[in-house]
Amino acid sequence: MKKKQIAIELKNITKRYVLHHEKPTFSEQVIRRSKREEFLALDDVSLTIYKGESVGIIGPNGAGKTTLLKVIAGITTPTSGSVLVQGRVVSLIDLEAGFNPELTGEENIYLNGLVIGMRRKEIERVFKKIVAFADIGKFIDAPLYTYSQGMKLRLGFSVAVHANPDILILDEGMTAGDEGFRKKSGNRIRQFFEEKKTIVLVSHDMHFVTSVSTRTLMLTEGNVTY
Amino acid sequence: MAATVEFYQTMKLSDKQLFWLEFVWAMTIKEIKARYKHAILGFLWIILNPLLQMLVIGFVFQFFLPVHVDNYFLFLFSGLLPWIFFSFTLSKCTPAIVYERSLIKKARFPREAIILSIVFSNVFHLLVSLALFFVVLLFVGKVSLLQLALLPIAVVWITLLASGFSLLATALNARFRDVNFFVQAVVPLWFYATPIVYTLDLIPQNLHALFYLNPMTAVIEAFRFALLGMPVTQASLWLVSVAASLLLCVLGWVVFQRESRYFDDWV
Repeated sequence: MKKKQIAIELKNITKRYVLHHEKPTFSEQVIRRSKREEFLALDDVSLTIYKGESVGIIGPNGAGKTTLLKVIAGITTPTSGSVLVQGRVVSLIDLEAGFNPELTGEENIYLNGLVIGMRRKEIERVFKKIVAFADIGKFIDAPLYTYSQGMKLRLGFSVAVHANPDILILDEGMTAGDEGFRKKSGNRIRQFFEEKKTIVLVSHDMHFVTSVSTRTLMLTEGNVTY
Repeated sequence: MAATVEFYQTMKLSDKQLFWLEFVWAMTIKEIKARYKHAILGFLWIILNPLLQMLVIGFVFQFFLPVHVDNYFLFLFSGLLPWIFFSFTLSKCTPAIVYERSLIKKARFPREAIILSIVFSNVFHLLVSLALFFVVLLFVGKVSLLQLALLPIAVVWITLLASGFSLLATALNARFRDVNFFVQAVVPLWFYATPIVYTLDLIPQNLHALFYLNPMTAVIEAFRFALLGMPVTQASLWLVSVAASLLLCVLGWVVFQRESRYFDDWV
């Protein structure tokens, strides 16, 4: 048997947030120094995910699922603990985030591709595929503010799945656009499962998660309970 | 207790740097394009803005300041161009990390690209207006090639200065939102504390050192020397100012890098 390669290794991850009730300001900091409410989002979480595994994470709202994904994606840094991630992480959450409304579809594809870590040459290579998959037709030259919500989602999804991710982050409710595209995107995601990509999936739905993933974790109040 | 974070990608070190360059470059182009997409006069605004300021300020101030220069408008313009670059850059960069929260929350990418793209797009504007100003100077007929060689150095210098201040201000603004208000309040005052509408020799000699505490003083003088051949008030204090600018740039970079790991928590 081939030795299992580590894709993600989290050791003793703790993430503490400072709770703000208002916008944080310097003046406030000076006036009321000692008052600092903190919120513990992840409490000493350790987790190893091997290449080719698909891990489902379930848990109620506020259990720290999003924070865990952000740590894995490198969007935020934990308060303590060590993170090791091997390979390109692409998240299929917040698909329309990071688009610029003034720029055209084409310009946004390049920008978005770079933001999620693609090289320019890579984007050039798959550009036609991205456009074809997103099915936005003549709108490719139009500024993004003329796009419908569905079109933006489709474009975001298309860029993300063409980024050749090693590790994919998914959300259960992640289906974009109309019936036709939902089918298409569902198929593409199924393909990732079949290709044995490393997948981290969050959901509220126990049945769905256990049916698609090789391992399921339960997250409650910042702790992993299996 | 500090966190250690390691992300391994199938990239060599040089690839990483190339990606960084590509990224900053693409963001800069985006910044320039997005700004002029819908403006009818387009790039004309680059030069129109300092021109209008020069006309209004020049018209008013020439009546009350005994500045001994050959042409007050040329004098004013050579100081206004770097000042406009600096103040626009700082004002736009300070809230930028907060404004770009949707980008920050999307993925892991070099956060400094958001700031550097604004700085570099403004450098581009500065270069365009300097080129046009240079054409005017050719007609007026007093261009020394030797002095002009200093111009690129002055541009690099002010770019470092603007980057340092911007990185520092925007990193602090992510954590303390009133930093933006502070910058908004200070920039107009800073204009008068910098010898732009006046020359330093109108100020008593013993106060000169105080003016050089303002890092903009020396750099504006550098521009004036390069463009108009105006003598420098105190050359020895220049070096101090260059050193201070470099230090500030490093400080801004370090603070930004430290804070950028946690931007997502604050915006």
